[in-house]
Amino acid sequence: MASDDDWHQTGDVPHAQGRGDPFAAAVRSTRMPMLVSDPRQDDTPIVFANDAFLKLTGYTREEILGRNCRFLQGSGTSPESVRKLREAIAREEPIQIDLLNYRKDGTPFWNALFVGPVHGDDGKAKFFFASQVDVTERVEAQEKVARQKAAVEAEVAARTRELRDALALNERALEEKTILLNEVDHRVKNNLTMIGSLLRLQANSIDDPTLVRTLGTMLERVDALATVHRTLHQTDDIRRFDVSAFLRGLVADVLAVSGRDDIEVVDRIEALDIEATKATALGLAVNEILTNAVKHAFGDGRSGRLCVAARREGDLVTVELGDDGPGFDPEARGRSLGLDLIGRLSRQLDGTTDWASSSDGTTSRIRFRSEPA
Amino acid sequence: MVRDHAGLQIVVIEDEALIVMDLELIIEAEGHRMVADAPSVPALHAIDPDLDVDVAFVDLHLADDTSGFEAADHIRRTWPDAVIVFVTANPRMLLPEIARGDAVVPKPFSTGMIEAVLAFLHDATKQPPPRVTPPNGFRMRPGYAARLGHHGPAAPRHVRRNG
Repeated sequence: MASDDDWHQTGDVPHAQGRGDPFAAAVRSTRMPMLVSDPRQDDTPIVFANDAFLKLTGYTREEILGRNCRFLQGSGTSPESVRKLREAIAREEPIQIDLLNYRKDGTPFWNALFVGPVHGDDGKAKFFFASQVDVTERVEAQEKVARQKAAVEAEVAARTRELRDALALNERALEEKTILLNEVDHRVKNNLTMIGSLLRLQANSIDDPTLVRTLGTMLERVDALATVHRTLHQTDDIRRFDVSAFLRGLVADVLAVSGRDDIEVVDRIEALDIEATKATALGLAVNEILTNAVKHAFGDGRSGRLCVAARREGDLVTVELGDDGPGFDPEARGRSLGLDLIGRLSRQLDGTTDWASSSDGTTSRIRFRSEPA
Repeated sequence: MVRDHAGLQIVVIEDEALIVMDLELIIEAEGHRMVADAPSVPALHAIDPDLDVDVAFVDLHLADDTSGFEAADHIRRTWPDAVIVFVTANPRMLLPEIARGDAVVPKPFSTGMIEAVLAFLHDATKQPPPRVTPPNGFRMRPGYAARLGHHGPAAPRHVRRNG
């Protein structure tokens, strides 16, 4: 327990080191910089500073005693922190704050400052006790971390912006591509319409039946191409071609052009699509077979039944057109552009076309490879 | 105006002269009449409003940077009973706008397709409800189809599915 004896334990040390008071001796000799200032004097001057404080700041005791400790502040000191400090002192409340201070030689250091009031019997602040710790390294490390964090964040923000820009650019490019594709599609269709119109107008202005027939065949082929192009780009995936829709459209169209309503169509077409790149070849090949059937199997006004079938087994697609006409011998018919076209288009499709013909009718079958979607 | 034929009276709004000639040929061959044609909306305004018009074939991109939709609006005001058929190479793009007309025929068209459209419209106009089925690709505004008592394209009469 404390006793008056305490005061005598340091009786033999010099006054400057705390004679007569072990706590004063501790404060004087500790490595932690410490100050005492007096709020009862004008401008709260420093009335005590230990050696550690002098060592930290580079001042002599004579230079600082009697001065307010704001001389430690400088151009880099945060006014906001100074305001907080001043308010705490005015309210006589303890405060702990990191403050940028300056030594006598002008070099800055980060000061982890603690200031607390020592109250007298009247309840008013008698002294302010302050301790300082040089935390420059810690603050600089924190600042470095903060700077690195900011740099990383800035980098992330920049990359994000780049990505967003790239994405927007991509979307725009895709949009432009779609517009371009629609435009090209539109022009192809318009040109096909014009070619059809030209052929029809020409066919109408000539009398020679052979020429009219030839032009008619040409027109059928252009019409088949037209049906292919009407069917293209109607599916959700523009890279696919809806064979079932095409076949139904073509059969309806060819029969309508022929003016024949005495040909019954048996529809065995399964839902099926192929690569859009194979659309034209398949369309033209089917058209040759179909128009041939209408002309030959149902020639001379013979009514009958036309069976159209399409199916996919794995990557093998089969399209079949069967009629119940008198049948024909493909060898005996000799060379014709139509048969030639069918052979070449089948090979282009990576497939074959064969015929089974008897007196009960003819079935033409196109088989080719096609990747399923 | 007094008609001298039993067919349809048709106006064609199209800026490609070749296509107008072609359509006229098909129309006349089927016993109908192309009573007027115009390549643009201003030219359409110049057509005699007293003409008797049953059907209008309207292209979407017209001369002088005018549109088939504007043309359709004028036709609707001038000949309220006429059936407006858009003829377009871009049938996918116009679904919401089809309401300004009654039906769509896709380009490129074939003779057979136009003949079938004419047969259907003749039936629909002269002796409704139509007994002929419209051709593949011919699409009607739901309101118009309902007015005809027709509910969208069905399989043609002579087609038997999966028979």
